[in-house]
Amino acid sequence: MIPNPFPESLEAELLGSIKAGFPSPAENVRERLDLSRLLVRHSASTFFFQIDGTSMVDADMDEGDIIIVDKSIDPYNGCKAVCFIDGEYTVKRVEITPSGAVLLPCNSTNGHYKPIPVGPENDFLIWGVVTYVIKKA
Amino acid sequence: MFALADCNNFFASCERVFRPDLEGKPVIVLSNNDGCAVARSNEAKALGIKMGDPYFKIRELAERGGVTVFSSNYALYGDMSHRVQEVLREWAPAVEQYSIDESFLDLRGMLTDDFDSWAKALSARCRRMTGIPVSVGVAPTKTLAKVASKLCKQYPKLRGGCYLHRPEDIEKVLRRFPITDIWGIGRRSVRKLEGMGVRTAWDYARLPASTVRSSFALPGWRTWKELQGEPCIEFEDMVEPRQSICVSRSFAKEIKDPSELCTQTATFALSAVHKLRSQDSLALEMLVFAMTNRFHADEPQAFSSRMVVFPDGTDDHRAIVVAAAEATRALFQPRYAYKKAGVLITRLAPREGFSRSLFEDPGLKEREGRLSRVLDELESAYGPGTVRFGVQGEGRVRMASERQSPHYTTRWSDIPKVRIG
Repeated sequence: MIPNPFPESLEAELLGSIKAGFPSPAENVRERLDLSRLLVRHSASTFFFQIDGTSMVDADMDEGDIIIVDKSIDPYNGCKAVCFIDGEYTVKRVEITPSGAVLLPCNSTNGHYKPIPVGPENDFLIWGVVTYVIKKA
Repeated sequence: MFALADCNNFFASCERVFRPDLEGKPVIVLSNNDGCAVARSNEAKALGIKMGDPYFKIRELAERGGVTVFSSNYALYGDMSHRVQEVLREWAPAVEQYSIDESFLDLRGMLTDDFDSWAKALSARCRRMTGIPVSVGVAPTKTLAKVASKLCKQYPKLRGGCYLHRPEDIEKVLRRFPITDIWGIGRRSVRKLEGMGVRTAWDYARLPASTVRSSFALPGWRTWKELQGEPCIEFEDMVEPRQSICVSRSFAKEIKDPSELCTQTATFALSAVHKLRSQDSLALEMLVFAMTNRFHADEPQAFSSRMVVFPDGTDDHRAIVVAAAEATRALFQPRYAYKKAGVLITRLAPREGFSRSLFEDPGLKEREGRLSRVLDELESAYGPGTVRFGVQGEGRVRMASERQSPHYTTRWSDIPKVRIG
């Protein structure tokens, strides 16, 4: 007798009727890795921004990169944050000192950018803390 | 206890989250096609701009007052509303979304009794997570919770949260609260209330029970009891299927051509079918209508409509779209310029258990059902508007939305840009 090349369960599926036979041990494994679950801790407070402007040597963010920003995180000393200062969005490293905040450029080697101390005369807001940078390889 | 979480000036606040430069400045959001003001920041309210003011009437005032004007961006508002909902669901045992910007929370079973701190903390949490200012009122009934959330808006020193429960506080607040601002008091009751000398919510709450029962219908009686602190409006965290479905828009430019009007109503019909199918209902009756611009008093005015009946009930895309187009051709009158049109499914039945008539062709129904399911799958895979019926024509629905902000949170090409330095 020639064995049936199709196990019973597969044949049943092909015929579109009720499944029978041994259940697949992988039946309940349907999940693939989902990047959102890795990159988004709080979905209610997570937003995406895109880096604009020319890329700079040694900066860890380049034009076109997408940054993930979580509004729920308390700004901490040294965090990278999307800041809104005097009418413009910018990404800066935030140094929190007893006398207030100082914004440092995210670019370590380019001496062109100077630290900006934030004073009462500035219209200033830390919009959210940057948690990840997505860049094209 | 119940809470009402109400987003302050919601649409205007959504715009400001991404435009922090507009904080403290007047902002308004216009309805579809830039018709009228549907949201105003406090500063815009202070300029005298009223809810529902047609834009052409306030344009000058807005320009003089330096108001930033936005076309509505429902993709953004919908997403921000979901975000606020997510925060609320983390904080309350049960949430009933009442509208895009208001939710009732059922706090029964919560361990805290310091609802004042809880409300202020929840407001701060929503602001922190989403950027949206939210007023949280807590009280023994839903009606009083609404009153408490209104107090938060009037008094900034409440810091977004108010717990209204002591009888002496309730009396003090209701004595100054106009009865017409109470949830559930319809405009139609106003004259009757005036006749009885009722001006404030307190006047109403002091009416004898027998008077309320004999003079008002059941909703009025419920409101009266709720003002006494006795909860009697059900908490509904289950979404009831809609009793009717309406899709209508006004056009940027008046339409004088029947085919063009058909392309619009067909598109509205398709979107109505989408809602119908998503709640597993069948359409039994549908009203298709078109109207002229009532603000142009010098032009001939008309409200034209046709009722379509589906005796066996249907949720079939093709049947409904074609019927809407045919009805539009029938109602169209050549000398009018149509400003607005819509499709209203006025009678629905649940698909499950709906008995079919004896005379239908089961083969045809089966084929229609298959086509519609394919359309559903295409739409869910590729987004609404993927498949178009011939009658919808090539063009998209024409909407004026010149001042619309980017879809910051729902479209990759629109996410906000930030400079690095």
